Amino acid sequence: MRRSKVFIGNSHTELGGLICNRLGVEPAPCTLKKFSNGETSVEIGVSVRDEDVYIVQSGSPSVNDHLMELLILISGCRTGSAHKITAVIPSYPYSKQSKMKKHRGAITARMIANLLTMAGADHVITMDLHANQMQGFFTVPVDNLHAGPTLAQWIRHNVPDYKDAVVVSKNPGGTKRVTALADALKINFAMIQTDRRRNHKPYSSMLNLAQAPIFSVASPRKKGARGAPPTVLPAPGSPLNGTARRASMKLQDGPNTTHGTVPSRRKSSNTRKPSQLGGRRPSLNPGEEGEDDVFDDEEDEGVHIVTAHGVQTARVVQGHVVGDDYLEEESESEAQSEAETRPRLQHTDSSVDLKHALGGSVDAEGSDDDDDEFQREKLITLVGDVRGRTAIIVDDMIDRHGSFVAAAEHCRLNCGAKRVVVIATHGIFNDDCLEQLQACPCIDSVVVTNTYPIPVERRIAATKLVVIDVSAIFAECMRRNHHGESISALFEQMTM
Amino acid sequence: MSSNSIKLLAGNSHPALFKLVSERLGVPLSNIGVFQFSNLETSVTIGESVRDEDVFVLQTGCGEVNDFLMELLIIIHACKTASARRITAVIPNFPYARQDKKDKSRAPITAKLMANMLQTAGCDHVITMDLHASQIQGFFNVPVDNLYSEPSTLRYIREHVDVSSAVIVSPDAGGAKRAAALADRLDLNFALIHKERQRANEVSRMVLVGDVKGMTCVLVDDMADTCGTLAKAAQTLKENGARDVIAIVTHGILSGPAVQRINDSELLKVVCTNTVPHDHLKAECPKLDTIDVSPTLAEAIRRLHNGESVSYLFRNAPM
Repeated sequence: MRRSKVFIGNSHTELGGLICNRLGVEPAPCTLKKFSNGETSVEIGVSVRDEDVYIVQSGSPSVNDHLMELLILISGCRTGSAHKITAVIPSYPYSKQSKMKKHRGAITARMIANLLTMAGADHVITMDLHANQMQGFFTVPVDNLHAGPTLAQWIRHNVPDYKDAVVVSKNPGGTKRVTALADALKINFAMIQTDRRRNHKPYSSMLNLAQAPIFSVASPRKKGARGAPPTVLPAPGSPLNGTARRASMKLQDGPNTTHGTVPSRRKSSNTRKPSQLGGRRPSLNPGEEGEDDVFDDEEDEGVHIVTAHGVQTARVVQGHVVGDDYLEEESESEAQSEAETRPRLQHTDSSVDLKHALGGSVDAEGSDDDDDEFQREKLITLVGDVRGRTAIIVDDMIDRHGSFVAAAEHCRLNCGAKRVVVIATHGIFNDDCLEQLQACPCIDSVVVTNTYPIPVERRIAATKLVVIDVSAIFAECMRRNHHGESISALFEQMTM
Repeated sequence: MSSNSIKLLAGNSHPALFKLVSERLGVPLSNIGVFQFSNLETSVTIGESVRDEDVFVLQTGCGEVNDFLMELLIIIHACKTASARRITAVIPNFPYARQDKKDKSRAPITAKLMANMLQTAGCDHVITMDLHASQIQGFFNVPVDNLYSEPSTLRYIREHVDVSSAVIVSPDAGGAKRAAALADRLDLNFALIHKERQRANEVSRMVLVGDVKGMTCVLVDDMADTCGTLAKAAQTLKENGARDVIAIVTHGILSGPAVQRINDSELLKVVCTNTVPHDHLKAECPKLDTIDVSPTLAEAIRRLHNGESVSYLFRNAPM
């Protein structure tokens, strides 16, 4: 590209390098450093007078420093008489704070947009903004590229029976994103809805459906019936045949799914039942007990699923799917004993506290409607059918693991999905998110693009992680912009 | 000396609502004249001094949207040049709110243009209700108070619907959040209608998620324009054994074939707030009912004028 310069910020030098490689240009020399007082200093090592300047800077863990760096670079080029300055921001920082919460919330994404234009950016190139409406925050043109076609391509090549797979949205807000991908692949989609548990009644008994014969047995308050699954099957020819068959299939088709472990587990759950009823668990080996407990609850879901029009509902406590007879933790001592017997959940809790202790405001935490996953208990509902198929859970970013783990557990354990693939554009992986996803037995692979930097050692440790290179899309967009060509084609077909 | 009192300037889009607001506040509507020249240009004269006053301009998006928009801009501008201390645009139904994103190549973000136009005209503050996307607040450089009709809707449901056998239904997946919030407040179950996309070249069908048998279904949405979705949703609900179906929407734009569709549909009632005038349709469409949100608007104006917090109105509807 003639009369152009590409600067690469410190946030994601790897992606910047790939883009330059694609474009066949050398990154323009600039020195980015910090004074000892923490101020960022930028020296642009080449003339930019009357040149088209592209600055590649993504979001990163030290987001504010890198944002400042970007702003200073833009401003430096502006005062250096650059002809046009394009900020290439693969993963837009602060994008979750795109709307005002009910009380006095700041729209920080909008403020970032103002800062960029004020610093002197004439054009912005980004990818999969959290809300499409964010383009309206800018007074300069924004090219919001889509990773969708690239992700679709990956699915076509890497999911063996993708034609039979189902794309799943883990929250209602993401349904549109998911339908687009489903359309591109010409496959079905499903949706997961989590909502606050109401009435503190078992969900199954709240629905006074015709399913009563099943669910009266399934009701957790009738413990006696629980150990005898065959009794839940209604007589053949009953109006609920379909539903019942599903429930029974779940118990019998074990070998095909994770329910292969059911028989042995069931035995253990039966023997433990009295102590559970007593409100306290026996203090066995903590680690083993915790693990076993999770499975115990999930296994019981075979009986407790509500299936109406392809809907399956289960309970989620502290981010994990549990059975309907999971005990409420009412007294403090009980909660404590819970914590002792479940090191995994306890860990989840503490990570939240830590975040707050470090100054993460509650507002920022709750900045996305679907992510208050640490609420004590919620109901998770799958709309659609994933039985015996591969479930592809799609979102625009993976920053925290809770909702993904809950969705994957629900798809796999309750709804009979064969495999679960988690796929997203931005792999932000806050804290130990990536490690948790890696540890989750219900997730088979995690697929993200390289818009956001992931340290090499984390990438190597996470064997389930697949990173797709999207530098070609950015390179092509920059090239087309430079030559004044239309980039609409990039929205639809561009796959690399 | 100026009194720095509230001045209410009403546009022509919805005189009934503006009268209610004015009565509620006990502040008469200021005397303004809005005419059209014979070439259809809009002309505004403001009949009393607004110097150093706290001016509220009332106008909503309905009917001849562009004419009313122009009227609003000209009134704001006139007040600005007449040295009003502060000008607040009260726009219960924000026009062009649905064009809020670049969903296709070269699609305009008209909601952003609207925001720019209002600010350029001289608007210092905006009050609106149930914005189509909350991100529109971020399009403005001036503060925007996005009020909610939810408290008024809640009251209506409690007063007019037998909540013991009701279920809240969202007519599409995107509105699930709104329906869930309402269901939470009422402690009811909720269901949603989901348009299932079959493989290529197959007809999509509506799938109901949740149980509605023998229940009164309350469909909730933020906007009802041609009512196609609502009518289809009502039919789906009836097929699944719903006893009655009523629809509650914030902005009942009811344009085009809406009235015909409502009359032909399974809907027992369509309840809209009065952010958009629809009284004139009631003769043709007896199923229409109104929720009055003027107390909320009036209270927001009063609180803004007195510098009090508006957040109370997000959870409560003034009587």
